[in-house]
Amino acid sequence: MIRVQQAAFDVGDEQRAILTGRSDIGAVVSFTGLVRDFNERPEVQALTLEHYPGMTEAALDEIIKEAEVRWPLQGVTVIHRIGRLAPADPIVLVVVASAHRRAAFEACDFIMDYLKTRAPFWKKEHTATGDYWVSERDGDHHDARRWEIST
Amino acid sequence: MSLTNPSLTHLNARGEAHMVDVADKPESRREATASGLIRMQPATLSLLAEGGLPKGDVLATARIAGIQAAKRTHELIPLCHALALSSVAIDFELDENDACVHVSATCRLNGRTGVEMEALTAVSVACLTLYDMCKAVDKDMEIGEIHLDAKTGGKSGDYRRAEPQEARATAPPVIESAPAPIVTGEGATGEVSLGMRCDIADPGIQVKCLAELRERLGVGDVSVPFDRLPSSDVAGLKTALKALDPRFEGLDQGRVMCAVNQVMAGDATPLTDNDEVAFFPPVTGG
Repeated sequence: MIRVQQAAFDVGDEQRAILTGRSDIGAVVSFTGLVRDFNERPEVQALTLEHYPGMTEAALDEIIKEAEVRWPLQGVTVIHRIGRLAPADPIVLVVVASAHRRAAFEACDFIMDYLKTRAPFWKKEHTATGDYWVSERDGDHHDARRWEIST
Repeated sequence: MSLTNPSLTHLNARGEAHMVDVADKPESRREATASGLIRMQPATLSLLAEGGLPKGDVLATARIAGIQAAKRTHELIPLCHALALSSVAIDFELDENDACVHVSATCRLNGRTGVEMEALTAVSVACLTLYDMCKAVDKDMEIGEIHLDAKTGGKSGDYRRAEPQEARATAPPVIESAPAPIVTGEGATGEVSLGMRCDIADPGIQVKCLAELRERLGVGDVSVPFDRLPSSDVAGLKTALKALDPRFEGLDQGRVMCAVNQVMAGDATPLTDNDEVAFFPPVTGG
């Protein structure tokens, strides 16, 4: 399940939604990303998230499908918020359910790494000293490359 | 001219069926829209709207079925040519007042034959799929009013159906399905690429600059006539953009990424008229 929304989400609700009526799930892993009050500059007061409607959903769907090819998964939820957010606000949620914990941990990690380098979202940070667009981090690409399969 | 002397083009002088030779017809931009509806019990419509039907996401399935059907029309209708459609869009409108789902399909291509059979086939098969998806709860559903709404391009001229438009105009759609974009891969020239494009009445390459790039260049959306491209690919589009407006020199500054019809692309990705091309900086979500 993929949602791109302005509204906040509730981790408990989303986890329950994935588990309801199932007894074949042995592990559920969830990751929540939050807005920090420091980044490239200190004193981040807020950030605005822009995305590319249509492509965003398609890109997230692609990432989930890729995860499902690599691990036996029984449910995946990805929620990404857009619009203006304040420090400490939850911004992204990934919930992965599987029969066993290793698959759930790894798939959750994989989905976040790919989301950060492949899904068309952009952050603009508003600080005491002005607004700026966040630039890409080499670390994110390094993280994503961990999952490359040599063919 | 065919308007003054209408005849059945699929019959030859002896009255036998034959496929019309289109090799010498000039290519032109063709578009056709057809629509139809399927009536059902109000309770079935509610279940459909809520996603409560046993076979799952009904509208998404019917949409894919309609698109697939449009692409395979030539396998169903004996004298139809196989066409490289550039776009198929299927729309649903849930009408609670009339207890029905209105289905419409728009097909488009640059080619030598019209696409009305593709649009009509898409509507028919989307309706049949709706029936199949809902029949577990409602066997009385009825498919009807399938017709061509409009057709443009080609020698026989434009056609627009004279609408009786009875009560429908007064009944606003209760629920409109979200415009779900359906996009295939990059595809080589001549291959089918399907996607929800920009305004269908506005030809040309639809260019979007997003996020930091939009602010840096001071340009959001711009449309570029397809014949301005020195080559039919992203590199050609960049050249055309720079010729139109020097601000687009900024496309070469820093890392700029590109998507064609919402799929990641590169300079060599081929383009066809009406493609949507987005340029944007590296992504920073999460």
